[in-house]
Amino acid sequence: MNIKVDARGEACPKPVIMTKKELDKMNEGIITTIVDNEIAKENVSKLANSLGYEYEVDAKDEDEYHIHITKGEVVEGISESIKDEFKDMTIAFASDTMGEGSEELGRILIKSFIYTVTEVTPYPSTLIFYNGGVRLTCEGSEVLEDLRALEEKGVEIISCGTCLDFFEIKEKLQVGEVSNMYTIYEKLKNPANLVTIG
Amino acid sequence: MKNSEFGVITFKSTHHAIKGESIFKKEDIKFRMIPTPREVTHSCGLSIKFDLKNISEVKDIIDRNEVDIDGLFKLIKDEKGNSSEKLN
Repeated sequence: MNIKVDARGEACPKPVIMTKKELDKMNEGIITTIVDNEIAKENVSKLANSLGYEYEVDAKDEDEYHIHITKGEVVEGISESIKDEFKDMTIAFASDTMGEGSEELGRILIKSFIYTVTEVTPYPSTLIFYNGGVRLTCEGSEVLEDLRALEEKGVEIISCGTCLDFFEIKEKLQVGEVSNMYTIYEKLKNPANLVTIG
Repeated sequence: MKNSEFGVITFKSTHHAIKGESIFKKEDIKFRMIPTPREVTHSCGLSIKFDLKNISEVKDIIDRNEVDIDGLFKLIKDEKGNSSEKLN
């Protein structure tokens, strides 16, 4: 399988997300991501490296880089470092506050929690937001900066589309992808570790 | 982890921390609530993190609003790990 991802003109971290999405879909094969700037080239290369895949950069021009990533040949040694970087863990956010008892306290606790996630490795592989939790990925959320940083590191961020729709904030989504209950179920049932916050 | 330094305001209780956050929110300054770093353990679990270059503004906000704080610290992260220094 050979797939091309044309990420020219896409703002950071989009090229990384686009590449990761294709990589997740395929069992083995080569993905060629085309980007138009040095930073995107670096970030896509870093992604390949952190996942332990062989990659090669082909600089066609000053504003055209082709990064060929081969999935299937996990390089020995590096695979150890992926284990350090990511953990097979999903954190589900069922609310924009943490725990019950005081909403005011819950709002501060959840900020504090998400900050801590950014500070501690290995990172979780996926963060899922549903019901009131989707407020955390939308405009006005105080944790957007942290969530963007995690996304850039390769953490998958998923918001429930039905929930965004219910709160009428679909167009206010600022970070991550929108998904449906099938994906949410898949992400909740597969990981070795599942933590629910809400 | 990359080396970094930042300022931390600790509080005597969670209620003081929540009050501190609401005061800082009204001011024109970048800050955030964080769990109190382990290196500064003797306070409540929530602290304010700020950029050390704004230390004089931070002190001014604390004085003007009579924010009841526990302490001001500098947190240093480097190869040796984390350490903290009390600021006056």
